[in-house]
Amino acid sequence: MDHSNRTSRRNLLAGTALAALAAALPKGAAAAAGGEIIFVQGSNPPSLDAMSTSSQASRNINMNIYETLYGFSEHTAPIPILAETVVVSDDGLTYRFPLRKGVKFHNLKEMTAKDVKASLERYRKVGATSNLLEAVKSIDITGDYEVTLTMHQATPTFLESFCSPRAPAVIIPEEDALAEAGKTSIIGTGPYKYVEYVPDSHVKLTRFAEYSQDTRMPDIDGFGGRKTAYLDTVTFRIMPEPGAQTAALEAGEVHIVEEISVPAGKRMEKNPNIKVYKNMPWAMLTLIMNLDVAPTNNPKFREAVQVALNMEEVMALATAGFYELDHGWQYKGTPYYAGDIGKSYYNQHDVARAKKLLAEAGYKGEEFSILTDSNYTEHNKAAVVIAGNLKAVGINAVINQVDWPTALKIRLQPTGWHGWTLMLGIEPYVGPVALVSTFTGKRPLFVKNDRELDVLYQELVIGKTVAARKVTFAKIQKRLYEFFGIIKLGDTGQMQAARSSVEGYRPFRFPRLYNVRVKA
Amino acid sequence: MTADTATARSRGSLAAEMARARRRRYRAFIGRLFAHRSFLLGFVLLGGIVVLAAGANVIAPYNPDQNDYHSFLAPPSAAHWMGTDEFGRDVMSRVIFGTRVSLRIGLGVVVASGILGTLIGALAGYVRWLDGALMRCMDGLMAFPGVLLAIALAAALGPSELSAIVALTVTFTPRTARIVRASVIVTKRMLYVEAALAAGAGHLRVLFRYILANTLSPLIVQLTFMFAVSILAEAILSFLGVGPPPPQPSLGNIIAGGRAYIQEAPWVTIYPGLAIACAVLGLNLMGDGLRDTIDPRLRTVREPR
Amino acid sequence: MLRFLVRRLLSAIPVLAVVSVVTFLIIWIVPGDVTAEIAGPDATPAQIVRLRQELGLERPLLERAMVWYGHLLHGDLGRSYLLNRSVAAAVIERLPVTLSLVALGLLLSVVMGMLLGILAAVRHNTWIDQAATSVALLGLSVPDFWFGLLLIVFFGVQLHWLPTGGFVPLTRDPVGWLRSMTLPSLTLAFTQMGVLARMTRSSMLDVLGQDYIRTARAKGMQAWVVIFRHALLNALIPIVTMVGILTGVLLGGAVVVESVFSLPGVGRLIIGAIQRRDFPIIQGGLLITAATFVFVNIAVDILYGWLDPRVRDDR
Repeated sequence: MDHSNRTSRRNLLAGTALAALAAALPKGAAAAAGGEIIFVQGSNPPSLDAMSTSSQASRNINMNIYETLYGFSEHTAPIPILAETVVVSDDGLTYRFPLRKGVKFHNLKEMTAKDVKASLERYRKVGATSNLLEAVKSIDITGDYEVTLTMHQATPTFLESFCSPRAPAVIIPEEDALAEAGKTSIIGTGPYKYVEYVPDSHVKLTRFAEYSQDTRMPDIDGFGGRKTAYLDTVTFRIMPEPGAQTAALEAGEVHIVEEISVPAGKRMEKNPNIKVYKNMPWAMLTLIMNLDVAPTNNPKFREAVQVALNMEEVMALATAGFYELDHGWQYKGTPYYAGDIGKSYYNQHDVARAKKLLAEAGYKGEEFSILTDSNYTEHNKAAVVIAGNLKAVGINAVINQVDWPTALKIRLQPTGWHGWTLMLGIEPYVGPVALVSTFTGKRPLFVKNDRELDVLYQELVIGKTVAARKVTFAKIQKRLYEFFGIIKLGDTGQMQAARSSVEGYRPFRFPRLYNVRVKA
Repeated sequence: MTADTATARSRGSLAAEMARARRRRYRAFIGRLFAHRSFLLGFVLLGGIVVLAAGANVIAPYNPDQNDYHSFLAPPSAAHWMGTDEFGRDVMSRVIFGTRVSLRIGLGVVVASGILGTLIGALAGYVRWLDGALMRCMDGLMAFPGVLLAIALAAALGPSELSAIVALTVTFTPRTARIVRASVIVTKRMLYVEAALAAGAGHLRVLFRYILANTLSPLIVQLTFMFAVSILAEAILSFLGVGPPPPQPSLGNIIAGGRAYIQEAPWVTIYPGLAIACAVLGLNLMGDGLRDTIDPRLRTVREPR
Repeated sequence: MLRFLVRRLLSAIPVLAVVSVVTFLIIWIVPGDVTAEIAGPDATPAQIVRLRQELGLERPLLERAMVWYGHLLHGDLGRSYLLNRSVAAAVIERLPVTLSLVALGLLLSVVMGMLLGILAAVRHNTWIDQAATSVALLGLSVPDFWFGLLLIVFFGVQLHWLPTGGFVPLTRDPVGWLRSMTLPSLTLAFTQMGVLARMTRSSMLDVLGQDYIRTARAKGMQAWVVIFRHALLNALIPIVTMVGILTGVLLGGAVVVESVFSLPGVGRLIIGAIQRRDFPIIQGGLLITAATFVFVNIAVDILYGWLDPRVRDDR
């Protein structure tokens, strides 16, 4: 199997090459430890029980506290973190995970196979994306430091899914594994340990002095690698007002702001005390249609919407100027990127063609209600621009802006909405399977299944190699540009800013506050 | 000439005389009102806002919904006196059109809570056995601090102009009802009311003709202040994401949209804020003037936010 | 006096009952629930049903209400869905923030409002009167969050004088506490002092017109002595009632100010709960704030009765 071979070979190399290096370095490189970093984010973490939530606000914090068996590297390849490696049987039915020895939990207990089994069993029950273990028939302890997963059937994409950081399958102590969702004692194996959470104020972490560093690699790599907690404390400050966030950064009260507006970034780039970081691509901004109601049940109408849109205007205004125009359903430069398929439909802003398509569709001025929320500015700004574009071709577009919980309730209803603006951040990042799974299954994002997509998804899941899956994914992208159930508007970026005194910060899917130092 | 027609004529001339007197009193009242300096200033301020709102189509230099993604958040210039917002729309045009929504919401709340408050207050004040129950309900609604009840209701009803009006009406009606009730209770004991009742006038007639007419003055003063508070409350609802939704501008949602860029593009936040301040200040000044003129000794407690 | 007290306390019960019923009505009509926050945008309907069952949201509202009232009788307000603590604990841990804010806001608005009011009354019909009245009115006429944002930009970013937000507990660092509370309480006070300024002005004007003040003045007492010893004391009575009402107003204003200045107070707790559909916090939080308001007003009534015995006997 491609993953096991690749990863284990790589580990072998890394292991030999770095053993010497690790020995030469002072243990844990703790020499330069010290200081505090205050990281600002806009909302409270709904939970610090990492398994039970897929919220970004939680992930930001949790991934500094917890670790998984496997996780993605910087380039989205699965790499072992708490596992030594993985050995996949030739029939693809068993995954044997030998564990790293001597790894300590924050309660100083050593991690063993019992903890891993208990954690994964718990994940099947309370995991927010528990379906990523759906393919697993049983979880067995096959040694003090070894766990084996047995599949119902060969699932070549299992390891990729298993690495998903959306609601990560983290390893927690066996005692915690019986706790209900949200009621654990917040103990992990990560470089920082939990101190306190004061909602609407902050979450405080402190360095875990007994952290069991992964010495197989020279540096951090994605979610894994050689992590060193230099800081004494890390505080995640919750500040809802964007204006107050940047004000606090400029006043030197905080060190890093998770997301700043693009105009603020442009202004602060001139400030020598502040460094602006750009994280691109961060998410795909999309317009999802409801295939179950008129007029959006008509593919011709949906095509008219696709060609009517001025993606440049939508993206420029929705992101305030930090975006990339791209039609692809995987990020540019990633292994599954499908080239020019569908490009001829993207960013057309073709009023005449749209009108012609509307006529062919027999459109009679029915309402096109765009569902959006007031919580994510990209969503509601995109809705405003889209409505303008559509009105220009004669579509009776109205905006239904509600708050986030209401939006999520309405979109589950079969009627009452036609379009819905949504950023898909982590799904395209995790890979084609994660993304396309939201287009199929019992309740696809666009409400009604597309038979062809369902078939292609099955083909994707059982594709044995990356190359085979890439071929399938190209077919999927082609299909997406044939039936227009979901329209890609563009890629958004995330602009972050930090004080210049912060050293070694590298933006990623979550703020890695290890291997970061702060100058006094 | 029979006696009957004579009385009729004299009755007619008496009625005419009374009407003339009423008109005189009315004119004198208006005269005093406009002689009141703060009323006049308030009238001018609010009048300016009303003119902007009414003539928005003519006065606004641009279509308030016209995006321009080549020059969003542009500073004030000759082309855009108040700059452009995060969609490249002309802030001045949006402020001008935004006054419409703010005034509509304020007016809606005043009318709705004026009617409801009067009904509830009159019933409570006039019908003894209803008093306790009605007023406990009103007390309950008033026990929610500030606009918290309005925020919760607006979130529940979904963001729209109408739900803002409903939410604020529910929040402010108890205050109106209280004032009406107090006034009704006082008037009910007056001799002329008892006389009218003794003369066989129906309860409804007495209530409307004699009692409610007397509550009008404090009610108008109260509603003027309520108008002001509603405009501020719309801004707060928008700030918290439960105000009138886009793309239609309201003074509150312009600020809400621009506040993320308060340092980079302060004009988007400052100008609509000033427009709110003008409208609310105008209403407050007019309320003060009305109160002083109607009855200098009137103790209407100005309802704070 | 005791009977008066008991009667006032008993009168709080129906009021709070109405509050809790209204809160249930709001929860009944509000669309969506906390699963949006927990499960995210691509949760399947099955996942959401499972979550709702775990949280007891699938049961009919009436049943939930009965359970809630049952627990309430035992003094239990329930547990937050999201904060991993009981409602009572969530509110109590935030009280210092809101109390700091409201107390300082009240203090500042009373001081500023009364000074403006006295100034206006003593210099009645002069430019000072005009100026004081205008400043008071202007405060009442600007949106509080807007004013707060301007303060942050000016004092926090431009001048670097004060922190832009966040809360420092009094017990940890008194100076830091005062610094962190200055801008928020100033915002609150500036937008509310107008009420007190007008109240003070008009009741001072009343008192200053009374015979005994004129006599005192005629006897040659110093102007400021007259104002403070005689006039102000008498003008205080209506002002005290105002403070009761103002407390409720400041509690409401705190909701917004806490969001602007990133203060973890009770107001933000409730707003956050509304936005994320954390029903137990909405129910408990609204009940507790309403109860606070009711009891502050009872306290004010008692104080009022003590200041002016006629009121007590009247009722």
